[in-house]
Formats: sequence, C-alpha cells, structure tokens
Amino acid sequence: MVKELIKTKNLKLWFTDNYVLHDLDFTVYEKKITALIGPSGCGKSTLLRSFNRMNDLIPECKIEGEILLEGQNIYDSKADVTDVRTKIGMVFQRPNPFPKTIYNNVAYGLQIRGEKRKSVLDDVVEKSLRDAWIWDEVKDRLHTSALSLSGGQQQRMCIARALANQPKVLLLDEPTSALDPKSTAKIEELCIDLKDKVTILIVTHNIAQAGRISDYTTFMYLGDIIEFGETKRVFTVPKDKRTEDYLTGVFG
Amino acid sequence: MKLTKVILALVAILAIAMFVGCNNQNQEQTGSTLEGKITMSGSTTVLPIAQACAEEFMNQNPKVNISVRGGGSSIGIKDIMAGTVEIGNASRDAKGKEINKAKESGIDLYQNVVANDGIAIIVNPKNTITNLTLEQIQAIYTGKYTNWNELGGPDMNIVLISRDTSSGTYEVFYEIAMKKQNIVQNCIMVASNNAAVTSVKDTPGAISYAGLGYLSSSVKPVQVNGVDPTMANVLSGKYAVARKLNMYTNGAPQGITKTFIDFILSDEGQKIVEKQGFIKVK
Amino acid sequence: MKVFKEILFKAVTYFAAIFSILALFGIILTLFMEGIPMFQEVSLREFLFSSAWYPTNEHQSFGALALFFGSLAVTIGALVIAVPIGLGTAVYISEIAGSRTKEIIKPMIELLAGIPSVVYGLFGMAFLAPFLIRNIGIDSGLNIFTASIVLGIMIIPIISSMSEDALSTVPRALREASYGLGATRWETITRVVIPSAKTGIIGSFVLGFGRAIGETMVVIMVAGGAAQIPSSVFDPVRPLTTSIAVEMAETVLGSIHFHSLFALAIMLFIITFITNLFTELFLFKKVK
Ligand SMILES: Nc1ncnc2c1ncn2[C@@H]1O[C@H](COP(=O)(O)OP(=O)(O)OP(=O)(O)O)[C@@H](O)[C@H]1O
Ligand SMILES: [Mg+2]
Repeated sequence: MVKELIKTKNLKLWFTDNYVLHDLDFTVYEKKITALIGPSGCGKSTLLRSFNRMNDLIPECKIEGEILLEGQNIYDSKADVTDVRTKIGMVFQRPNPFPKTIYNNVAYGLQIRGEKRKSVLDDVVEKSLRDAWIWDEVKDRLHTSALSLSGGQQQRMCIARALANQPKVLLLDEPTSALDPKSTAKIEELCIDLKDKVTILIVTHNIAQAGRISDYTTFMYLGDIIEFGETKRVFTVPKDKRTEDYLTGVFG
Repeated sequence: MKLTKVILALVAILAIAMFVGCNNQNQEQTGSTLEGKITMSGSTTVLPIAQACAEEFMNQNPKVNISVRGGGSSIGIKDIMAGTVEIGNASRDAKGKEINKAKESGIDLYQNVVANDGIAIIVNPKNTITNLTLEQIQAIYTGKYTNWNELGGPDMNIVLISRDTSSGTYEVFYEIAMKKQNIVQNCIMVASNNAAVTSVKDTPGAISYAGLGYLSSSVKPVQVNGVDPTMANVLSGKYAVARKLNMYTNGAPQGITKTFIDFILSDEGQKIVEKQGFIKVK
Repeated sequence: MKVFKEILFKAVTYFAAIFSILALFGIILTLFMEGIPMFQEVSLREFLFSSAWYPTNEHQSFGALALFFGSLAVTIGALVIAVPIGLGTAVYISEIAGSRTKEIIKPMIELLAGIPSVVYGLFGMAFLAPFLIRNIGIDSGLNIFTASIVLGIMIIPIISSMSEDALSTVPRALREASYGLGATRWETITRVVIPSAKTGIIGSFVLGFGRAIGETMVVIMVAGGAAQIPSSVFDPVRPLTTSIAVEMAETVLGSIHFHSLFALAIMLFIITFITNLFTELFLFKKVK
C-alpha cells in the first residue's frame, strides 16, 4: 500500500518574468524513489528546490500554490522554514562539505539545534555514516578535514550529513554527475538501500540511472510535467511522444 | 611600511633642498643692486616674521625673490652651515657645539636679533588662578602638584601640556622656566603652538605655554612672579620667560641679505614684527 | 622573434621583482646602519627596559619601553574597536544587505578609506577630544582612548573591505548546504561562512594592525605624546611613530638622538615583521 507523502497543488514559480514552473500538480509516494528527468533547463532543479524552500534564498523568485507535506502546506505563513529543511534534506550536484572535520560536518545539523551531549552526537554521527556506507572508510579519521576525502566519499558524507537530521525526504540533485562510475554505482546502491528509511526524490540526466533505481519517474518538459508513472511503465510504454523521444535520445 | 615612506620623503626633501641651494649660490653674485634671491629656513616661530617681512620687501623691490621655509631652529642653523641658505632662522641662540662645528667647516655663525619673544604660561579661562611663581611652575611640571586647589585654584586635576621636546619653544621653557628639570612623564606633548592653545581651550584643567604671538582670547595667560606677559615687560626685561628670535647668517650680512635684515630692523620692519605678535628689539 | 619577446618579458618582470627586493634591503640596511651606532653610547638594556625618554634634556636618556607600550596600546585599542565593527560591516554588506543598500554603503566606506590621516587627526583633536571631556568627565581628551577611536575608525574600511572580499568568495554551495540542513542565516554566517573565510578575515586584521601601528599623523595629534607606560586607557601615550616623526625634524644629524630615532624605527620594523611572520605561520598551518 503506497502512501502519498508530498503533494503539490497548482505550483507556479517565476524568476522575475521568467515563468519556470507551470501550474504543477505532483505527488511523491512515501518510501519510494521518484526520479525527475527532462532536458536541461526544464525546471527539474527548481521544482526540487521548492520542496525544501531553497528558492526562498533567491530574491527574484516568486512562488504560488501549495506544497503539502503530510497535509501541511510548507509555504504556509506559519510554517517554520528550518523545520521544513530538517524534515526534507538535500544533497547537491557537487559534494559541498564544510571546511570542518568529518565529525563536525555530520554533527552540524544537530549542533545548530543545540545538541551538546557528546554521547548523542557520537551515536548519530556513527549511525549516519554507517547508513551512508562510509563509516568503515572514515572511522579512523573522523577528526580530519572532510576536504581530504575523495569526491565520491565526500558525496556519501554529504548524504550522511543530511541523514543525521533524520529527514522524511531526501532530495538529490544529480548527485552522481560529478563522480566516476564506481562511486556512482555505490551511491545508486546506497539509494536503494536507503529507501526503507527515507523517501527519495532524485534529479538525473542519466536515463539508465533513473531506470535502475527509481520506482516512479516524472518527465518534465519546459516547465510542465508531461508524464508521471511507475518507472517500468514510463520506460516501456510512454504515453507521450515527447517522453518517448527523450528516452530514446532524440533530444536532451 | 609608513616608516619607509617617511624616510623616502626625507631623502627626497633633502635632495631637493640641496639642489635648490646650489642654484641659489650661483645667482647670489648679482651684487648689491636690489635684484636677486634670498632663501631662508629654520624656526617655525620666526617663520611668520620672515614671511611677512619678505612679502613687504618684495613688494617694494619687485626684482627680489625671497623664499622662506620652516623646519625648526636646528634646521636653520644646519642649513647655514651647509651653505644652502643665506639666512637661518632660530628661536634660540646657537649652541656652543653648533658654533664650534661651524668654525671647523669655516663658517662664522653670525647672530642677528630681529625680535623678542615671550613665552606665556596659559590656562583655561575657567581656571581662577592668575599668578604663578617660577617655582610653582616648576613644581607643577615636575608633578609635585596634581590639583589646582593645592595652588589656591578650583578643585580640578591639573592637565599638563607641553610642546614637544624637540621644539624651540620647549627648549626655552625647559631652560628658562624649568631650570633644566625633567618634565614629569605623564605630561601631554603637542606638536605646535596652535595645538597647545587649542588643547588648553578645550581642557578645563590644562596648563601649557606658547609664544606671546599665539595667544588668543580663548586661553588665559597667567602672571609669572607677579609680572604680566606683555610686550613691554619682555622689552624691559621684567618678564622671566622670554627669548630672542634670531636670523643667523654666515658672517655679518652682506649685499641684498644685509638690505633685507636692515629692513626688518627698521621702524617699518619692527612694526611688522609687532603685528605678528612679537616684541621689537628696542 | 618570439624567443626574443619571451626573454624580454622575463627580464622585465625579473627586474621589477628585483627592484622591490632591493628597495626592501636598502631600507633595512639604512635602518640598521643608522640605528646601530646609538648602542655605542646607550646600552641595549636601557633602550629596551627603561621608560625614561628624555632625548633633548641635559641628562639624556633613551628608554624606549614607554614608546613601545604607547604604540601597542593605541594599536590594540584600535583593533578592539575596528575588528567587531569592520567585521560586522563586512557581514552586513556581503550577507544581509540587498543589492541597492550595498551600492550605497560600499562606496561610502571606500570614501572613509580615502580620507587623509591628517583629517582624521583634526577630527579627533577638534571634535572628539573636547566632546569626550564634556561628556565622559575625563581631564584631557588626548589619550589612548581617543587615539584608539580615531585609529579604529581609520582601519574599519581596511578590515571591512578585505573581510568582505573573503566572505564573498565563500562558495554559495556551502551556504546552501548549511541552509539545507535547517540552519538559520545567523547560524550559517557564524558557523560556516565566517570560519570558511577565516584566512582572509585574519589577514584583514593583520593589515589593520600594520596600518594602525605605523600611523603617524593621527597619533601625533590625538595620543597626547606623553612618554609614559600607561596605567589607564585615559592616559596620554607617545607611540614610536610620534617620536620618530616629531623629533627627526629638530635633531642634529649624526647625534645619538638622531641614531636613536632609527633604533625606534628598527623596533617598529621588528614588531610588524614578527606579526607578519606569526600570521603567515599560523594561517599557513591552518590551511594545510
Ligand atoms: N537563480 C535563478 N535566477 C533566475 N533564473 C533561474 C535561476 N535558476 C534557474 N533559473 C531558470 O529557471 C529555468 C529552470 O532552471 P533549472 O535549473 O530548474 O533547470 P534544470 O531542469 O535543473 O536544468 P539542468 O538539467 O541543466 O540542471 C531555467 O530557464 C533557468 O534559466
Ligand atoms: Mg538542475
């Protein structure tokens, strides 16, 4: 039985005069991996960033409509942004570790919420790093700079950092595009492993990757959602001609 | 890094001074007709007299060119010894050391007294003190008194202000008023007569000193040993803290330089001296 | 032809580099050549540990300790004022102000940097000193406190513009990472942005320090010039630069007093040298 976790209602978004998201109604199912695919510039990242209100940081951005997380509108005037961002974590295209130790990177979310007890921090750091499959590689160097990790390790550490907040949703924006094939494979497997714990929404340009790991696929084109459905169905019998063209590489 | 700038600037100034100096010596030979060039440098106390007299002199003798620079008394004497100027201004008498050094290099430091200057002891107008003895002044500046009420004045901390130790005014004060006793270390040092006057004006408890020419109604001069710091009292020799203002030349002045110094010593010149707030020679 | 150009280019840049090095060595050489002769008549011990600076009196003494403390006092005072305000300004401009506010504030701060130091001195002497006497009940307005404020205002632009440069080079990705983890703007700035820009920010403090300790005109005008070891922030002091600049004008060329002023300059040089060395070592280590 799948449960709806996030629903967008009439979501419209502008950057100044540029109308980027066209009245979107979209659903994310709990504990599933949903892939967002589509040609460059169609609004995938923008849509993704709307879910944890990252677009609030861009002054030119204007947003209308609702995004409901378990029935609560995260854009409600009473909603707490930091709470939204804690519940809906994000991992970016390029690994972005803070210039701090590995430990302090992962503990950051808890520390800013005032957690000082070392035992709690130690536990969460270890658990998050284990969940992100990087514990064994870093357990002996937790107090060295995160910048000394390889790109793939950094990205998994960033996933651990997001997981430390115990989010309901993890937003991944092309998380493997800056990584080598081996690191990519590892993160793909990790995603599949994580979906028991957390709902994943992933933007990717790698169609095969979407096929390999996602349960649902959304195809976006010029600010519209053209097609949404179970990945198997979308990949085998696309309803829309444009989806088919994109999947077969006619444009992209 | 600032320092390097200061040093480079000094070097540049020296170089320019030498260059200008050399040029002048060639032109000086033009003779005793009222045509030619005089350069002088030295004490900033003598500067206003030199400047005002030079202007008037050049008005009357348009073909004469007089340039006046400051630098301080030691610079004036140094420049005479180096032969870079015709007149070296000094607000003090040349020291024995300087005279000897000049003799060694074949230069005869010749003193022309052009004016007298009294150093007035000044306090803030709010201060009720009107008279101080030299001994009291010494006790104040050596830190023996710290409040004006110890001297019969208001209950107010004494704020000591002095001219910087390298100024000619300080030297006169140190030698004549202080009888060469060290001024206490917490004494504020300011870099000019104007700074001294301004500071006293702004500071109720202040005491300082400045040339008579720099007095203004914003500060109050006090009597020294019961004598007012007036021109008349300086001339008559009653006022204790006074000094001569000199224009040094190499040997007795000659040619156009003599004409100029004679002009300053004439009635007309001495009027200018008085107008600048100094005291005439006779 | 190409080879010739290459060689010419190399030669020109080489001589440019050599020139600054030569200038540096020339200056150091001058300092030491003119400064060392003082020690034939004044012991190093007196120079370093005595606070009696009476260079022109009958019994001369050349204790530079009070002057050293004078320089230190006004410089630390200036940093105490300029570091929080300069850094605060930098954070405001780089993190908080909208682009329009930024356009107004930045040029105004640059204007502050362009004001000649003698004007700062006048401001301190004619306005701030009497203002402080009237309003905080001190006996005199020429002291460490006033000098620190004026010097502080003077180095605010240095600290703020250099810190702002450092802050604005912190990648957007780091801010987004922090916001993405639920941090507020304040938390993001204090825990991520400022620590990431640490090298540049500390560099701005060092630059401000150098500017303050080397400043001459302002301290001549407002620090009070009293060669004493201060016991309160309202005491007048005489920084090294004051003695060098004021006394050089009147001293006899080649006298001990003359040489002692170069010795003061050596002291100033060594202070800035050690400061630079320490920051270099410290920053270098942290970056690695
Ligand atoms: N900060 C911004 N300010 C103004 N316009 C923006 C901004 N970010 C994105 N846009 C515009 O919004 C549109 C969608 O951009 P978005 O980054 O969401 O595309 P995307 O589908 O993620 O593309 P890509 O696959 O290349 O990452 C583009 O036209 C882009 O120019
Ligand atoms: Mg994108």
